[in-house]
Amino acid sequence: MDIDYRETLRYLGYKNQAADDAVLALVRQCWAELDRTASPRSFWREYPLTVAGGEIDACVFQTRSRALGRNLRGCERILVFAASLGAGVDLLIQRYEKLQMSKAVVMQAAAAAYLEQYCDSVNEEIRQRYEANGWYLRPRFSPGYGDFSLECQTAIVAALEAGKRVGITLTDSLLMAPSKSVTAVIGVGRTPLACEVKGCEACGKTDCEFRR
Amino acid sequence: MGILETIRKRKLFFDGGMGSLLVAKGLQPGELPETWNVTHPEVLQEIHLQYLRAGSDEITTNTFGANGLKFGSDGEFSLKRLVTAAVENAKIARERFAEERRALADGMPADATETVECPAAIQMAENLTDGAAKAVWNSPGSAAKAAGNPVSDAVGSEHCAYIGLDLGPTGKLLKPLGDLAFEDAYKLYKEVVIYGAEAGADFVLVETMSDGYEAKAAILAAKENCDLPVCATMIFDKKGKLLTGGDVASTVALLEGLGVSMLGVNCGLGPVQMKEILKEILKVASVPVIVNPNAGLPRTENGKTVYDIDADEFAGVMEEIADMGANALGGCCGTTPEHIAKMTALCRNKKQILPEEKNRTVISSYAQAVEIGQSPVLIGERINPTGKSKFKQALRDHDIEYILREGVTQQDHGAHVLDVNVGLPEIDEPSMMEEVVRELQSVIDLPLQIDTSNIEAMERALRIYNGKALINSVNGKEESMRAVFPLVKKYGGVVVALTLDESGIPETADGRIGIAKKIYRVAAEYGIAKKDILIDALCLTVSSDSKGALTTLETLRRVRDELHGKTVLGVSNISFGLPQREIINASFFTMAMQNGLNAAIINPNSEAMMRAYYSFKALADLDPQCGEYISVYSGQTATLGQSAAVGSSAGSLTGTGKAAGAGASGTAAGRAAGSAGGTEGAKSLGGSGTADGELARCILRGLKEQAQAAVRELLAQRDSLAIINGEMIPALDQVGKGFEKGTVFLPQLLMSAEAAKAAFEVIKEHMSRSGETREKKGKIILATVKGDIHDIGKNIVKVLLENYDYEVIDLGKDVPPEMVTAAAAEHHAPLVGLSALMTTTVPAMEETIRLLRRETPWVKIMVGGAVLTEEYAETIGADRYCKDAMASVNYAEEIFAGQG
Repeated sequence: MDIDYRETLRYLGYKNQAADDAVLALVRQCWAELDRTASPRSFWREYPLTVAGGEIDACVFQTRSRALGRNLRGCERILVFAASLGAGVDLLIQRYEKLQMSKAVVMQAAAAAYLEQYCDSVNEEIRQRYEANGWYLRPRFSPGYGDFSLECQTAIVAALEAGKRVGITLTDSLLMAPSKSVTAVIGVGRTPLACEVKGCEACGKTDCEFRR
Repeated sequence: MGILETIRKRKLFFDGGMGSLLVAKGLQPGELPETWNVTHPEVLQEIHLQYLRAGSDEITTNTFGANGLKFGSDGEFSLKRLVTAAVENAKIARERFAEERRALADGMPADATETVECPAAIQMAENLTDGAAKAVWNSPGSAAKAAGNPVSDAVGSEHCAYIGLDLGPTGKLLKPLGDLAFEDAYKLYKEVVIYGAEAGADFVLVETMSDGYEAKAAILAAKENCDLPVCATMIFDKKGKLLTGGDVASTVALLEGLGVSMLGVNCGLGPVQMKEILKEILKVASVPVIVNPNAGLPRTENGKTVYDIDADEFAGVMEEIADMGANALGGCCGTTPEHIAKMTALCRNKKQILPEEKNRTVISSYAQAVEIGQSPVLIGERINPTGKSKFKQALRDHDIEYILREGVTQQDHGAHVLDVNVGLPEIDEPSMMEEVVRELQSVIDLPLQIDTSNIEAMERALRIYNGKALINSVNGKEESMRAVFPLVKKYGGVVVALTLDESGIPETADGRIGIAKKIYRVAAEYGIAKKDILIDALCLTVSSDSKGALTTLETLRRVRDELHGKTVLGVSNISFGLPQREIINASFFTMAMQNGLNAAIINPNSEAMMRAYYSFKALADLDPQCGEYISVYSGQTATLGQSAAVGSSAGSLTGTGKAAGAGASGTAAGRAAGSAGGTEGAKSLGGSGTADGELARCILRGLKEQAQAAVRELLAQRDSLAIINGEMIPALDQVGKGFEKGTVFLPQLLMSAEAAKAAFEVIKEHMSRSGETREKKGKIILATVKGDIHDIGKNIVKVLLENYDYEVIDLGKDVPPEMVTAAAAEHHAPLVGLSALMTTTVPAMEETIRLLRRETPWVKIMVGGAVLTEEYAETIGADRYCKDAMASVNYAEEIFAGQG
């Protein structure tokens, strides 16, 4: 995949400042190693959806979330989505944590950017497929965003059989392992969104260090 | 007749999917399928029965997800009850099927030999458009009185119904990437195995495993807790990889090493894609092979999973798979009795051809297999304290990082395997061995050689080793063989066998060959094949016996030519007591390879040895078109007598190894480059010119090697403390301030820290030579709290604190509160740092703080992590919230300044 310097640097705390050559070289090295090591996998399924304000019934999970309710307004169906870069990437990060911390932090940032890019590309394929049939997608929304409870992870991972299809497992504290993994839902409706609000802009935590 | 006998005679058929059939019968989303063993036994019995009617010789119990994580020890859905009911349901189905067969047989004349159709097959055929399932069984009724399996009673040996106790994945990722310890995974499987065997399963089927390590836990649990045969099938992706990175060769090595009776592939792919995987398996496997594909590749339609091929197509491809050489065939997700019936109809009369014994000598890591064959294998010898005072000190100091670096450097220089020896009289060798093996296998993907004479250390290492290890060593002594061979047999492995015994080391090749034969013979009694033994021809120093080398070489040759065995040597011993040992070592190494040496324990960091290796391969037709030789040496300008930097082919890491041999001119050039950019670098870092020396510039710019060179130069002029306080600390402070101001970023901060650390190493060595010591400022405990497995933040803090001369006691991640408290008490540490990443793990942090307050009231507690804030930290009772690593350093400086 193409190197996303901007996102990688953002995860490292840069806010539009230029990185020096040494750091840029590290980003390039990490990205190349990710290309060799990552085995991106994803899986998704569509379910019927009922949204009544903040009450959401997505078949595989039921939850109360105002933020998710807003995201899913006007949607009739929901896609439940999971993606992961695989255990190899975690091992790579872990390796550098033991041997070269500076590279470990860059690797971890690059892997996060790499994963986002992969999710975006899968998301785009899905969007095209749905739009061809007159359906429009909402931005991906993950458990843990806003007031969308992390507790929904268990049901999502189980419903998708994410363990064997994508390789995602949950720890007792609902962390995903391997760590470079994403679960999300994507609303599907008959009307296109006038203006897509997604990512940082949709998030209520305005004092976040990594806010765009 | 047992399943292992049947498979020697004919193709064996497994059953198909279970989950989708249960859903069709009304299993709700989120409902645990195993509960149906108790609530809907009739449904399970019916499904098993349908598979038997469809021609399955095997039915798999509905225990895929049955484990202690999901089910408790008592109540309606106790694990024991669910597993027992699962086996009972299979037994009832088998009994009903036997009755059907008996009824069929009774209705026929005793000498009937014509083809009959069983009622089930007829029923099945009626449901099928093409009647493919007709005439499934040719069943001589006269065999009805045969003894043994209840089904065979009725129908003879044509049809069996073995009950496979299903062990699926735990649903957790094992440590260090996940939060399930290997031994805990073992215990989960052990429970199921005990209940399942007690209830009467015929064999254990470990399946749908995407992690070899988890499969190992399950197989060991089965082997140690019942006497049933154990089979294992794994999920591979289209590229032939497990989710955790292993390939077909490494996985087969692991599984065969653990002694599975059959192995193969299931789930993940459809039959079409599995053909490629099967090809790979058949190249390396020596035991019967199972293929249980999904009903094609899945896609989603209206929230349901549908597969891209139908039962006819499935059966057609399975026929090809049978012809390719699969010995047992069945189905996985999406397959139904219809798929199985059509498949058995096409495949039942195929000739069974078992895989031949491959006689490959192979070891593996979690990621790769290394075959010890014609091309010599290099075993790096540097992880060994013998004669190395720094290594001994690292062991005493518990400096795991030092040991990991020794491993990485050897890998970068071209080692294929790493020898691991941590024997030192004053340390607890079994614990250290286990820990070092765990750490090495989480960082390095090379197979390891477990090198110890301590049997407990050997067993503990083999148990947690993620692969098939090389084991060093056994010898011809009765006592040694009695202790080591059972471990080789149980855990799998290739063992180094020293040609010595109770009467010492034979002086002649005849004597050593005699011992080798004895070792082979005794090993065979333990069920260990010749291929899993490397005969060590032994080399003693040539300075004490001028014929010694020739004896060794003759032994090598004769093991190869007369015994057709494989050999290994610790090559470096040959030069003991001689000057310039590399000269003798390299020449002897070449001679040994020429005489058939298969694996050499050497120092791969020695350029002389690597030259001998690469040139031998080029000359011995082991390096086609000299490709490897050219790739290593074409860019190299170093002449003999100098050590040269390693070529790019082997390297994966910057740092340690590669630059080490750069030579004097290289360093000077690097330094020049460093100072050229230095001023500019210091400026861009917001430097005010307070630290304008060369060393400071290197630290500011994060230049490791140059920083080391600069500090060496300085040490000739100034004393250590002056350098630290006058150059290094100001530079570190400057970087730290820049970080706080937002002009220096995290990677730069850490690069500077690493450059400073490298320079400190040089100073430390210098000081220890002159007998000086430098007091640490004090002890700080760091831990990532229980339940949290993300510790990158904590590790950043550690790097910086160490630079500021604190002794950091790093407890790692997922650390229980009690362990933090115990460490704080033991070290009487003034400061404890805790990290937590998620809201779900902050409660564990709060609990840890509470316990610390009670047990070790003197400690100050700093906390950090993504979800924490100043207020949040206060609420849970921490003394200080540190928003980043520099904040932690500042707080530590504050605390310890007060301590004097």
